[in-house]
Amino acid sequence: MPVKDTIVALATPPGRSGIGVIRLSGSRSLEISRHLIQDENFVPAPNRATLKKLSDPITGEILDYALLTYFKSPHSFTGEDIVELSCHGSPVLLRHLIDLLLSLDARLAGPGEFTLRALANGRLNLSQAEAIRDLINAQTQAAVKQATRQLGGELSALLQPLKDLLLDIIVPLESSLEFVEDDLPDIVVSQFQAKLSTLINHIEQIASTFTTGRLIRDGLKVTLMGRPNVGKSSVFNRLLGVDRAIVTSAPGTTRDSLSEAINIQGAPVFLTDTAGLRISADLIENLGVERTRRAVADSDLIIVVLDGSEPRNLQDYEVFNEVAHNNYLIAVNKSDLETFKEIELEQKSKETIPIINISAKTGEGFDSLRDAILEPFATSEVSNSGLLITDARHFDLLRRTQSALRSSADLLEERASEELVLIGLYDALRFLGEITGETTTEDILSQIFATFCIGK
Amino acid sequence: MSFDEGFDVIVIGAGHAGCEAASASARLGAKTALITINLDTIGQMSCNPAIGGIAKGHLVREIDALGGIMGRIIDRTGIQFRLLNQSRGPAVQSPRAQADRAAYRIEMRRTLEATDNLHLRQGQVVDLIVKKERVRGVEMQDGRRLFAKAVVVATGTFLNGLIHTGRRTYQAGRAGEPASVEFAEGLKRLGFPVGRLKTGTPPRLDGRTINWEIFEPQPADERPTPFSFATDKIDQPQINCFIGYTTEAVHKAILSNISESPLYSGKIKGIGPRYCPSIEDKVVKFADKNRHQLFLEPEGYYTNEVYLNGFSTSLPPDLQQKLVRMIPGLEQVNIIRPGYAIEYDYIDPRELTPYLETIRLKGLFFAGQINGTTGYEEAGCQGLMAGINAALQVQERDGLRLRREESYIGVLIDDLIKHGVDEPYRIFTSRAEFRLALRHDNADARLSPYGRNIGLLGDSEWERFNQRRDRLAHLKNILESTRLKRSHPAYLPTVQTLGTDLGSSITLAQLALRPKASLGLIQQLLLKEASAEISVTDLESVLADLLYSGYIDAQRANYERLYNHDGLRIPRDFSFRSVNGLATEMVERLERACPESFGQARRIPGLTPTALSTLLIHLTLQ
Repeated sequence: MPVKDTIVALATPPGRSGIGVIRLSGSRSLEISRHLIQDENFVPAPNRATLKKLSDPITGEILDYALLTYFKSPHSFTGEDIVELSCHGSPVLLRHLIDLLLSLDARLAGPGEFTLRALANGRLNLSQAEAIRDLINAQTQAAVKQATRQLGGELSALLQPLKDLLLDIIVPLESSLEFVEDDLPDIVVSQFQAKLSTLINHIEQIASTFTTGRLIRDGLKVTLMGRPNVGKSSVFNRLLGVDRAIVTSAPGTTRDSLSEAINIQGAPVFLTDTAGLRISADLIENLGVERTRRAVADSDLIIVVLDGSEPRNLQDYEVFNEVAHNNYLIAVNKSDLETFKEIELEQKSKETIPIINISAKTGEGFDSLRDAILEPFATSEVSNSGLLITDARHFDLLRRTQSALRSSADLLEERASEELVLIGLYDALRFLGEITGETTTEDILSQIFATFCIGK
Repeated sequence: MSFDEGFDVIVIGAGHAGCEAASASARLGAKTALITINLDTIGQMSCNPAIGGIAKGHLVREIDALGGIMGRIIDRTGIQFRLLNQSRGPAVQSPRAQADRAAYRIEMRRTLEATDNLHLRQGQVVDLIVKKERVRGVEMQDGRRLFAKAVVVATGTFLNGLIHTGRRTYQAGRAGEPASVEFAEGLKRLGFPVGRLKTGTPPRLDGRTINWEIFEPQPADERPTPFSFATDKIDQPQINCFIGYTTEAVHKAILSNISESPLYSGKIKGIGPRYCPSIEDKVVKFADKNRHQLFLEPEGYYTNEVYLNGFSTSLPPDLQQKLVRMIPGLEQVNIIRPGYAIEYDYIDPRELTPYLETIRLKGLFFAGQINGTTGYEEAGCQGLMAGINAALQVQERDGLRLRREESYIGVLIDDLIKHGVDEPYRIFTSRAEFRLALRHDNADARLSPYGRNIGLLGDSEWERFNQRRDRLAHLKNILESTRLKRSHPAYLPTVQTLGTDLGSSITLAQLALRPKASLGLIQQLLLKEASAEISVTDLESVLADLLYSGYIDAQRANYERLYNHDGLRIPRDFSFRSVNGLATEMVERLERACPESFGQARRIPGLTPTALSTLLIHLTLQ
């Protein structure tokens, strides 16, 4: 991917809107823009918006009036010269403008290419770039909050005291090894074990927020299952009706299943309605079944919808079979009907499966249903919680840190020689450093000399 | 240009770096001159009369494994051998020995004089002769001009050396020896970036005036561990050293006179090492300690002189005398040489290639304290590498460069040329990422093949190496194939000792890894199985290999995962300047260090994570 050309892209999401922002980044941004505004001598002051007339460079036809903002390298998002054109939000117009810019020798940006350039030009570090990605993808308020926090370096701040604690353990152990001839205080193993325990627990706490964190960022995937005519679509629609997310339908919508993003108390939930599970000789129907099975496999939670006004039949049991290995709850629909009967689970089912009586028609029971859906989100105040780990990379590093610390703890228990105990501790330091920045040997030595009087 | 004499290689300075350089160069077949201000101080130990210590001992064994001489010299002249960290794992054990200072010097000179191709010359070098960015020779104070194709500068603390005692300051390279001023200025004129460092030394005492009873003896090891792989046994008689302590009264006295200390009065500009602080430093920085440890180190069999380790100082001599007499056991002591601090020039080692050649001038090599290191061992290994590379260059052969992963020498040189120094650089085991793999007892396995390859290891040494390697392999085999079965008479007692069941059968190798499985236990079990005599040293080495191999493999895997971009090559002609978004400072650091791979770049200090990300992206976008 050559880095030298000037790229262009629509910066606002596609669709009809009041404003559409076209962004150019690269050394020729200004030059190219000049053709569009038909002013060869245009020298804008950086960071100011100027109203400009956009015309077709060949025909002279006036296309739009736009606010042009120029960001001069290196003080721009990508570090290159950037020109942003805030135009009217007509998709047709925007498309045309971009085509024109392409004809003027800009190149259409690949996905994430602006961020890549920002990274390449040192305007962002990796963590911040990840945070931006998350910010853009954020489905709900809570997720937006999370992403903003990471951008601000909160994760590093949270981990710093842990790093210090780790150094507290490393420094005396290393000193006792390296400066064996010096008059240093004795190593009291139990003290170190205690410190190590504390450290492992703290990291566990932070790492465990990942489950919730990931859910906040990626959303809980909930799938509705049930035989035909139990009222799945009604349940689906009612769940949708009150809560709507920022973004509309997720990709991958097929004839056989429907997905929508909703927001429950700040937590993003992807709700998927599925086709029935009919095993049939028809190939097409079976394809639908395949898709359903896949949706089930991907799900965090299945809602098995039953018709409470009728007794169970074979198809209901087929559904139960299908979800036996999943996390599921049972929604018994049509509680408004007279023939509605509460169900009793067979003994072989686990006690812990929630059963909720609902009526898609009247809305009865839907509050309980929403609560039950949210249950996997460990905290009760999802949108106000403290920093959560949302990034799989961070989670992975924290898990590795824990594992390294545990192996050191084991060796310490066995009274193994210090250089063995230190291996895991140094590994942990490196893993944490991947998130917060590295601690070098010099840093450790500095701390040793500041702590202990060495000098033979 | 006319010259009085011509050589292939000239080594300036006969300290620990210079002697190694000259010996190696000559033995590689290069006609070598060793120039020293004073022939009588060849191999002089300026400070502590001891070789080795944690990590330093590793360096000496590596020097020996490669074919250097330090190990042999100390083996012949050491008077108190101790293996440090015996209670800990083998990777952090390191040999140390006090030397008979005079004997060390004599033995060093004797060894050099017996070396073919090596020519000793007394005199002071005042300038380098340079033409067309190549060094051509040296100019002496007395007018002589000596020609050389390569020059190794190993001038120690002599460059613009300035001694401080109390309020007095005078130029000297070492107590009683002149400083090298003109030469220092000559190097500055050539454009080398010069800095100032300092080091210090304690007073020497008259042993007859010490009340030895008060002090706690520290005996030598019963079984001294030699440094050289060529030494089977240490025969010479071993002595004790002694441990004592300062008192609060001493500390108080020092503090009330602190203005007399050149360091605290601001007279000394150079930076000293944090891990060898003067007694003034100790008392000021660790005011809550009510006593500091001291070691009395006799300097030889035939002298009364005793080195007072732990009391480095530049306070005025009369004050020193008063202070030491406040130490319990030293109430009557006479100081025969006062302690002092010495400031000296050093040259930023980032000026060097990994072969210790200067980037600025071809054929010019720097080794030892001039590069900002401290310690005889640190100097010695640099001298060895510089001498080797100077000779190899003259012979138009490829130079020798050691990697961090395989030697402490590699770690040291890499740290110097990549980081530069902020204070005198001393080697520590923690500087090596793979210290588990770098044991003192496997230095030969790691480095002797290199020594043989370049021709520094003779036939008998190589034969000895091969025999050892074979013995170890054979022993490892036995351990891995011999099983202790339940039916064996030794099984039950072994289980009792270890306190745990061992299954129906277990190899001796697996057994050795169990906690509480001692060397003695393995030895006993082996004796019943193997017929040949097994040396304890061999067994220790093999057990150490077994102990660490799992950890070493896991570590390497970890490294690869964490640093999986490390292998990404940086093309020779890669222009750091052209990388958009790299701050000027980052570009400078990269250009200096000239990394060949991303892994090397990552280790350049001062390179921010942002700069590294930027570089990485550009490399991957290539």
